[in-house]
Amino acid sequence: MIRCNVLAYVLRRIVGMVPTLFIIVTLSFFIIRLAPGSPFSSERNLPPSVIANLEKKVHLDEPLPLQYLRYLGDVLRGDLGYSTKHVDFTINEFIARALPVSMTLGALALVLALSVGITVGVVSALKRNSLMDHSLMALAILGISVPMFVIGPLLQLLFSVHLGWLPTAGWLSSRAGGLTLILPVLTLAVTDFAYIARLTRTSVLEVLRSDYIRTARAKGLSQRAIIWKHTLRGAMLPVVSFLGPAFANIVTGSVVVESIFDIPGMGRFFVNSALNRDYFMIMATVIVYAVILVIANLIADLVYAALDPRVVYE
Amino acid sequence: MTPPTQDTAVAGKSLSRKAIDRFLKNKMAVIGMVVVVLYALVAILAPVLPLYGYEEQVLDHQYLPPSLTQTGGELLLAKKTSEFESLARSQNRPLSAEELAQLKALKHTIANDPKHQRRYLLGTDYLGRDMLSRIIYGGQISMVLGLVGALTSILIGLLVGSIAGYFGGRLDAFLMRSVDILYSLPYMLLVIIFMAVFGKNILNLVFALAGVSWLTEARVVRGLVMSLKNSEFIEAARSIGASPFRILFRHILPNALNVVIVFTTLRIPTFILMEAFLSFLGLGVSAPMASWGSLIQDAVGGMTLYPWRLMFPALAMVIFLFSMNFFGDGLREAFDPHSEKSI
Amino acid sequence: MRKFLQAGAALLVLALYGCGGTGVDFIIVNATEPQSLDPHLVEGVPEHRINMALFEGLMANDPRTAEPIPGIAESYTVSEDGTVYTFKLRDAVWSDGVPITAETVVKSWLRILNPETASPYAWFPAAFIKGAQDYLDGKAGPENVAIRAIDAKTFEMTLVGPLPYVLGALTHYAFGIVPIHAIEKYGKDWIKPENFVGNGPFVLKEWIPQESIVVAKNPRYWDAANVYLNSIKFLPTEDENSAYTMFIKGEVDWITSVPVDLIVEARKRPDYHNSAMLGTYYYIFNNERKPLKDVRVRQALARAINRAELTEKVTQSGQIPAFTMVPPMSGYPGAKKFTESVEEARKLLAEAGYPDGKGFPKLTLLFNTSENHKKIAEYIQQQWKVNLGIEVELTNQEWKTYLETRDRGEFDIARAGWVGDYQDPNTFLDMFLIGGGGNDGKYANTEFDRRINDAAKMRPGPERFKVLEEAENLFIYQDMGVMPIYFYAVNNMIDTSKWDGWYPNVMDFHPWKGIRRK
Repeated sequence: MIRCNVLAYVLRRIVGMVPTLFIIVTLSFFIIRLAPGSPFSSERNLPPSVIANLEKKVHLDEPLPLQYLRYLGDVLRGDLGYSTKHVDFTINEFIARALPVSMTLGALALVLALSVGITVGVVSALKRNSLMDHSLMALAILGISVPMFVIGPLLQLLFSVHLGWLPTAGWLSSRAGGLTLILPVLTLAVTDFAYIARLTRTSVLEVLRSDYIRTARAKGLSQRAIIWKHTLRGAMLPVVSFLGPAFANIVTGSVVVESIFDIPGMGRFFVNSALNRDYFMIMATVIVYAVILVIANLIADLVYAALDPRVVYE
Repeated sequence: MTPPTQDTAVAGKSLSRKAIDRFLKNKMAVIGMVVVVLYALVAILAPVLPLYGYEEQVLDHQYLPPSLTQTGGELLLAKKTSEFESLARSQNRPLSAEELAQLKALKHTIANDPKHQRRYLLGTDYLGRDMLSRIIYGGQISMVLGLVGALTSILIGLLVGSIAGYFGGRLDAFLMRSVDILYSLPYMLLVIIFMAVFGKNILNLVFALAGVSWLTEARVVRGLVMSLKNSEFIEAARSIGASPFRILFRHILPNALNVVIVFTTLRIPTFILMEAFLSFLGLGVSAPMASWGSLIQDAVGGMTLYPWRLMFPALAMVIFLFSMNFFGDGLREAFDPHSEKSI
Repeated sequence: MRKFLQAGAALLVLALYGCGGTGVDFIIVNATEPQSLDPHLVEGVPEHRINMALFEGLMANDPRTAEPIPGIAESYTVSEDGTVYTFKLRDAVWSDGVPITAETVVKSWLRILNPETASPYAWFPAAFIKGAQDYLDGKAGPENVAIRAIDAKTFEMTLVGPLPYVLGALTHYAFGIVPIHAIEKYGKDWIKPENFVGNGPFVLKEWIPQESIVVAKNPRYWDAANVYLNSIKFLPTEDENSAYTMFIKGEVDWITSVPVDLIVEARKRPDYHNSAMLGTYYYIFNNERKPLKDVRVRQALARAINRAELTEKVTQSGQIPAFTMVPPMSGYPGAKKFTESVEEARKLLAEAGYPDGKGFPKLTLLFNTSENHKKIAEYIQQQWKVNLGIEVELTNQEWKTYLETRDRGEFDIARAGWVGDYQDPNTFLDMFLIGGGGNDGKYANTEFDRRINDAAKMRPGPERFKVLEEAENLFIYQDMGVMPIYFYAVNNMIDTSKWDGWYPNVMDFHPWKGIRRK
């Protein structure tokens, strides 16, 4: 019965994704055209005939509604078109290369952030108000207030320039191979680590004093069992809510980390396409992000319900 | 809200007194509070404090390190001398007559020009501007943005999240899908368009920040409310006929508040740093005014040569955030009805 | 959770040991992913560096001076009136062995002019070759473009006028020669490594978008004996600081810029090369807005700042204070320089009705977001405030918004920069004609226009330069139509004690051909 409910819910959500994505695509398609400038505006002020030729090539000369229908048709066929900035590859090709890179990096960073963050959060909560607790939480606050664009260069300075252990930048296929992963993963993990550690600590404390843990304790269950079986389960709830969007953010890449470490990921597309008014690339980033976000949030909701029997989706 | 009856007023008074007592016993919290108040005072009183103007340039004094004892002129002389010396050393020769003459001339100007009497406790930047003053003025905007971001994310996030979580069903679906849509729209372009249409001022900056600050908050709150609404004590409240809003605001949200507050304090630095990103798009503070975010950003490139340019703004921000955290934690624990039965 | 960790660990192990490195002779940080490798579809400097490895035009560049030297053309003759050029092609072949003929040149140039190619740089050849503009505009067919193959090895072109700087222009990728036979065969994908055909000293070997481009020596290049590197890798690293660190650590051999904050440190190194560049950094005055309409105000603003201090202390990268629009250029005597004088400036401002800056409206100064532009604007703002008693407000916008604002003339003062396409004063002046494409400040002086138009019809030589000089005197010295600030300089880092054949020059062109390890 419950299983059936869940299935129906999941189905409903999946069907619901279609209008959500449709709205996102439609809104974005028209909104981005309002931005000042065009893909072909430049300091050189290209002659009108050159601009006209460029626009014609990517159908920007057609009326907007027509362009929209054309685009929608292309997207339904799985064709994201061409970038107006980098013209030798299709956007599909670019994303097919860049997304796995960002996903690898993001997934590693997230795993790191989760494992360290949860451990730190639980330890802090158990040793509440001890020196250990204060210093771990100080670390978390430090991690969150020092931006990635500072952490990255600092790590480079330390591990590449001074110690000479790791390469400054590059990606797997460069000379240094897998060693290139370490610094960007660390940089990327810091912020989420801080969130996860803080959230875990707070909610572990919250759960520890709730009634059902008191009951468990009264029943004489061991501390270890209480923590792992009961507490952590409940305490993960806010972390799970946070993880939906955080996952989407981290696996679609970070422009900061990618440019510091010269990584061929998705993150730069988000920023560069917006700055270049590269309309089709912008749309592609919106679609990729939206799809991942919507799925991540659905999974987060399901995990949430699985962790907490009190949560019921009608 | 209903007017408090005599009873609850008395109870409330003793409760708040107890809370204050508890708060004062928490040393970290008190220190945090003092620091936050100090920051606020300094920021508000900046124009009347004995500071150099944040935009005042003394180009001779660019890139001077921090010093408590030496004046700008003395530092400049020391810097020039060591420059000449290292050059001479690299060429294996004593200081040339010309270099000595230059140093002597510099000494003379320094002695006679009052601008060389300036002191830079935290060093200077690339145009010879006083870092202390820039950090203090920069703090004004950064603290305001951090707090505004936090407040809007709490207000909107709590409202949307709790309604979605409590009422569930279609309302939940609608609100959460709206959140998904807002997440997915190309934020950067929205800011660019927004700026092109409405221009640049503080209010628009706040608006651009607030527009997205509440999204994750709403999801976190929704989750918490969904968990709590089926708890036994809520069932109990419901069975005695309490209205949904009463249940939500009197019973559920107070229990969710801890996590929400912690989450929000965590986001303050994000809001502060976001200003630096928005000023890249033209929406942040106008040069020569600075913010903590822009000071940090400008200093990254030269951090090996001029570490103080990065360290002090970052330190100012980190200390503020630490204090906010301890202050916030202290308040939360002091006013938390559960905290008496601590484990 | 544990599964996650295991998977992560497995991936890490795989990554750490799974990939080896490729040995290349030379690595350059090329600052960005190229728009394209097709010479007819690009418009940037990083693209140019790759293009110089893969293709060669009729003319190439001398590595020391950047002056044009014979490339695919062996020699040329010019007609009496300076409008008809006849090139003799050398016996060169494409990397697949197909000979390069005069017909190839004709078809290549028609390709870039073809409206369907939609080349962003098509306006460039169109500005030189007779009949080309009409073809580009779709007003006439390709048969009207005055280029033709006289025989297999003789190519002739007719210009719109006796343009003296055309040979320099011919080294540009917009005049690129492309393998028409390969393009017909592979279409858009002719530029992919597996299909690639080129005529430069190198051929494309590997291209991983956003990650690296590797080129290898082209054994069929006509001058292959003078190509010493076996391979070059182009990295698209965007972060200047990372690039600098990589260079210092010896991970790369050449970086093409230095982060502003590190110039002081870099300058002390022997592998730092600073050279003047053919470009001008200036502020545009909105000539139609009050009070900038008044020439005295423009003069006062331009003369009240200390450019030497600005370039020495603020920008620090070897820029040269500019008192004219056109940078120093061989043969061109240069226009009259205005002088900086705070006193004069104050007097002019007072004459214009603003003694001590009283009553002067608060103007805005617009620039596109960048650390360097910000520093300069902050400095100039302060100078105006201290020296003239006037306040300006700084506004920064991201690139495209800034362009739009400038284009619409919605500013008082705006930052701008111009880098010459070729070594001739005209490229710095003709955009300020009434209605000209780059004339966002709406400078208007018919006397100036007359001289620029006259010069366009004149034969190269001192007389023509005289007319251009007069025009420039009107534009800057007399009218202060814009406010020149400095002439650009470029910073390269490459260890020339290790690498031979690399020389700093005003165009910042560095042909790959002669570069070799000492």
